[in-house]
Amino acid sequence: MKLLGLEFFKCRRRKVVLVCATVLGTELAWFGAYLTRQDASDLVQGWMLLFYNLAMIDAIILPISVATLASRNCELEHKGATLKLLETMAPPGRLYLAKLSWGALVLAVLLTVRSVLFLAMGVAAEFDGAVPLGRSVMSTLLSWAVSMMIYALQQGLSLRFANQAAALVCGIFGSFIGIMSMLFPPALVRCVPWGYYGLMALARMEWDPDTRFTQFFWQWPQPLDLVLLALWAALFFIVGRTLFVRKEV
Amino acid sequence: MDIIETCGLCKRYGNVLRVAHLDLDVPEGCIYGFLGPNGAGKSTTLKMLLGLVRPTAGSIHILGKEAESAGRLDILRQVGSLIESPSYYGHLTGEENLRIVQTLRNVPETNIREVLQIVRLDGQRNKKVAHYSLGMKQRLGLAAALLGFPKLLILDEPTNGLDPAGIQEMRELICSLPGQFGMTVVVSSHLLSEIDQMANVVGIIREGELVFQDTLEALHGRSRHHLALRTTNNAVAQSLLAQQDIHCTEEEGYLILPILSDEIAAHLTRSLAEHRLGVVRLEERQKSLEDIFLELTGKAASL
Repeated sequence: MKLLGLEFFKCRRRKVVLVCATVLGTELAWFGAYLTRQDASDLVQGWMLLFYNLAMIDAIILPISVATLASRNCELEHKGATLKLLETMAPPGRLYLAKLSWGALVLAVLLTVRSVLFLAMGVAAEFDGAVPLGRSVMSTLLSWAVSMMIYALQQGLSLRFANQAAALVCGIFGSFIGIMSMLFPPALVRCVPWGYYGLMALARMEWDPDTRFTQFFWQWPQPLDLVLLALWAALFFIVGRTLFVRKEV
Repeated sequence: MDIIETCGLCKRYGNVLRVAHLDLDVPEGCIYGFLGPNGAGKSTTLKMLLGLVRPTAGSIHILGKEAESAGRLDILRQVGSLIESPSYYGHLTGEENLRIVQTLRNVPETNIREVLQIVRLDGQRNKKVAHYSLGMKQRLGLAAALLGFPKLLILDEPTNGLDPAGIQEMRELICSLPGQFGMTVVVSSHLLSEIDQMANVVGIIREGELVFQDTLEALHGRSRHHLALRTTNNAVAQSLLAQQDIHCTEEEGYLILPILSDEIAAHLTRSLAEHRLGVVRLEERQKSLEDIFLELTGKAASL
C-alpha cells in the first residue's frame, strides 16, 4: 500500500487527470456525433446501439490511451534514473506490482466515470426501455479487464525501453488493429490482444444484406474468451515483470 | 571491523571480466577512496555492493552480514548511496523527492529538514528539481543518501559535473561525515587529487583488478626520494659507480641513484672529477603520487 500511495504521489503534475479527461471527452464527442446522425427508428434499439458503439470506440481510443497512461507513470523513472535508488529500498517485483496497481485504479475510475457518462447520455437521449445497469456494470468490468491486459503489455514496454516511442507506437498500432479486428473472424481476433474489446462486447450487430436492415442483439462473452483474456494478461504480466526484475540498473 | 568485505568478487559481461577477483576491505569509520581510471570497474563494483548488479562470482559482506538477495534490503536500510548521477523526479520539488525516500526508508519526517540543511538546500526545497542546477541536483542526491543517517554511505563520483566551488563544498561535506555522524564513506573517483584530499584508506582498481589497497600514508610512502645524476659520459660514470657498490639505472639521460649521504655524495663527485667526468646535473627527486598512480594503473592520471 505504501508503494501504491507513492505511485500516486510521484504522478503529481504529470497531467494524468488531463489525459483521462481527454479520453472521456473524445469518447463522448465520438458517440455524441454518432447519435446526431441517427433517426428515431435507429434509436429504438438505443441501449444496444450504445453498448455496441462503446466497444467500438474503446477498441480505437483505449489502446493508445492505456499506452499513454502507462508511459506517464513509467517514463518518470527513466527520466530521473530513479530505479537505482528505488531498488536499494524496495524489491523490484513489488515496485512493478505497485505500478500495475496504480494503472488498475486509474483505469477503474476512468472507465467507471466513462460508463456513468454514457448511461447519462442514453437517458438524456431517451432510449427505449429501462436503464441496463447490470449490463453497464458488466461492460465496465470487461473493458477494465481488457484494458488491464493491454496495460500489462504497455507497462512492460515502457519500463523496458527508456525511449517511450516504442511503447507509444505499440499503442497506436493497437488502436489501428483493435478496430480492424472487429472485421476478423473470431478465431483470429482471439490472437490479437487489442481485439478483445470487440470480442467482449455485450451488444453485437447483424446486418441482413437482403433487407439491408441492421439488427442488434445482446450476447454474453464466451467462457473460452474470458480464459484466453486471463491468459494474455498473465503472459504480459509475467514476461514484463521477469524482464524488469532481471534488468540490472 | 571491516564494514565492507568482498571476497573474489567478479562480474563478467560477455567474454570480458569487468571486475576480477576483487577483495575489498573497508574499515569502519574511514573514508575509503575507490580510485581508478574511467572504465576500470568502479561503478560496477559499487552497484554489486548495492545489489543493483548481480555478481558473476564471489561474496559480499556488509556490516558483517552476507548481502545475498533475500536479506539484501534489510542490510541496505543502513546504507545510503549516490550512484553515477543523482536520482530525482524533475517534476517534483526537492522536498517532495525526499518525502518519497523518507516514506520508503520509514524514517522520521524531521530528517527531511535536517538533511536539506546539511546540504544547504533548505532555501530551495519548494523548487521543482528540474529547475535545479547540476550541483543542486548532486546535493539533493547526497541528501537522499543521508536521509536515514546510515552507517555506510556509498558515493560514486559525487563531484562529477560540479564547478570548483561545488567540488570544494562537496569535499568538505564528505570529510565531515565520519566525525559528525559516525558514518563510513566509500567514495569513488577517477581523480587522484580528489581522493588524496578526502580519503584515509585507498583502493586502486585497474581493468577490474585491485592493484593497491592500504592507507593513504602507505601510498604516500611509495613516493620515495632518489638522486638523478647527469655527467659528460654516463656510461663511464655508471661503471665507476658500480665499482663503488652504488647501484644505479639510466633513465632519459640521467643515472638514477638511491639517496646518498652528504659525505658519500661529495666523495662521488670528487671521484668523477678525478676521472675527468664533468657533473652536469645532480638533483634530488621525489616520485609523485601521480607517478605511482600511473605505475599502478598503467594509464594517464586524470588530474
